[in-house]
Amino acid sequence: MRFFLKKHLQWIGLGLLLVLASPFSLKAETYLTSQQFVDGAFGTNAAKLETLWMTKEVVKQADKILGHAPKQLRQRYWKHGLQTAWILDEIGKEEPITAGFIVESGKIVQASILAYRESRGGEVRHANFLKQYQGVSLLPDNFLNKNIDGISGATLSVRAMGRMARLALYYDQISRAESTKPESAKTQ
Amino acid sequence: MKSTVMKNYSNKKRPDINIKQLSLAVAFALFAGNAAAATIEEKIELLQQEIESLKDQVASAQAGNKAGGAQSLAEKTTVGGYGELHYNNFQGEAKAKDEIDFHRFVLFFGHRFNDWISFKSELELEHSNTENGGAVELEQAYLDFNFSDKLNAKAGIFLMPLGFINETHEPPTFYGVERNFIETRIIPSTWWEAGAAVYGEVAPGWKYQAGLTSSLDGSKFENFATKGIREGRRNVSEAPAENIAFAGRLDYTGQPGLTAGVSLFTGKTGQDNDALNGADARLTLWDAHVRYNKDKFDLRALYAQGHLSDAADLNAAFGLETAERFYGYYIEAAYHIWQQGDQDFAPFIRYEKWDTQASMPTGTLRGVGSNNHVMTAGANYWPHPQVVIKADYQKFDEDDGSKGDKRFNLGLGYMF
Repeated sequence: MRFFLKKHLQWIGLGLLLVLASPFSLKAETYLTSQQFVDGAFGTNAAKLETLWMTKEVVKQADKILGHAPKQLRQRYWKHGLQTAWILDEIGKEEPITAGFIVESGKIVQASILAYRESRGGEVRHANFLKQYQGVSLLPDNFLNKNIDGISGATLSVRAMGRMARLALYYDQISRAESTKPESAKTQ
Repeated sequence: MKSTVMKNYSNKKRPDINIKQLSLAVAFALFAGNAAAATIEEKIELLQQEIESLKDQVASAQAGNKAGGAQSLAEKTTVGGYGELHYNNFQGEAKAKDEIDFHRFVLFFGHRFNDWISFKSELELEHSNTENGGAVELEQAYLDFNFSDKLNAKAGIFLMPLGFINETHEPPTFYGVERNFIETRIIPSTWWEAGAAVYGEVAPGWKYQAGLTSSLDGSKFENFATKGIREGRRNVSEAPAENIAFAGRLDYTGQPGLTAGVSLFTGKTGQDNDALNGADARLTLWDAHVRYNKDKFDLRALYAQGHLSDAADLNAAFGLETAERFYGYYIEAAYHIWQQGDQDFAPFIRYEKWDTQASMPTGTLRGVGSNNHVMTAGANYWPHPQVVIKADYQKFDEDDGSKGDKRFNLGLGYMF
């Protein structure tokens, strides 16, 4: 093998360069756009775009859940009947993972990965992993009420998914509380 | 997790046009709405929509919309790290003194050049300084080319894809203060080489890696009975490069909590050394590993075996005691007995057995301490998922060199 490699090293190198320079080299990392995710859950243009404002208390709780303050001044979400859809970003090891959650009455109905950018740990986008979130709700301390089985070698991505699931459930809780307030008491 | 360097947007000048647009929007919402005799609520709704639209433009101008793949320059450079402090109390017939050691202090630096090329590195300081056996080591430094889920490539210095610990060894990710013996004496973690590899997911749940790398130096396989092939690692430090090796692995991770796979390294280690008279000294090291983490249970098992051709030639040429075959295995079980919020406590037990000289070439005798087994019992406590405090007790079948046959260990570790 060594003789073969030494003899053909220049061709192997050239082949590698061609692969790297190829127009097919762009990484396909986005599996769903936000609109595709929302339309897929609720039907085309069926959901209403809403806003959750980041009040001091919401930022404080989100900071506790994420381990850092959320960047947004407000969180956009979609509402359709009793269901809400949340699209969130959180870093696994080095790169942000974009996940979408459909929540109904405090329980996750669907979890999806919209974009995954880390080089390791992409198994979190598989249906077998994501279906574990179905039916999961929040405990009073804002942790999940169910243990999510991890993936060896993808610990940080799994943890990032857990934080986003908790945040989506917390935001859903706040959005439902907001919607039951009288108009004059709503946060603007 | 990462910390971004210089992540401070507050100093960024916001585009003037947004302030103007904001003023116009306010004016429009307040006055234009009168013509349509809008209610106060409708005006507020209109104003809110205009403000949100402007905020979106500001956020977009600040490259804050990561879902779109755009990142600011500061966000492209990442820093991470881990570290571990160990205390070892040697008991039984131990001649060695008890020891406290900041074993590893590691920093990761990464940079993303664009959406498919990035750089990853790991710089380690072992034993807290370079005077008492410590070292500064560049364990990873490679360019990562992300093409698709199925095919990616990396080139540079990277970790050999064998077993569990060699590639994932941050202290909060494994049980026990010290790394297990099989993945230190049979698979010589931490083990890195220079080369190029492709990796990805060949089918849902099936991950692979295959690459060509530099190889070990067989003439340095010293203290084989207690260290196996460890001393043959040259750490890509002006290392001989006459031999090329293959390293690869295949894992199934399709079920949550399950990882099962095999790894292989094969390469000549003779490095064309004249003293070997053309002997190849090919090393083939493989392992089979499985981990099943279901609910509160965490089970892990690994078997590793190595074959070395021309062991007799190596021993004759360099005065070594290398073996033709060596192996080891362990089985480990942990149970997360208490979990409260971020906190987690898990006792564990592990049985390990190894023989670094299972089959010797004619003319070479086995060394002392090549064959042993050990039972370890202890617990990990995570006050936070990225911080761990560990304690364990180990009972060896035979004395482990001068360190006796019993050991109590305490450890502290972190990762970020």
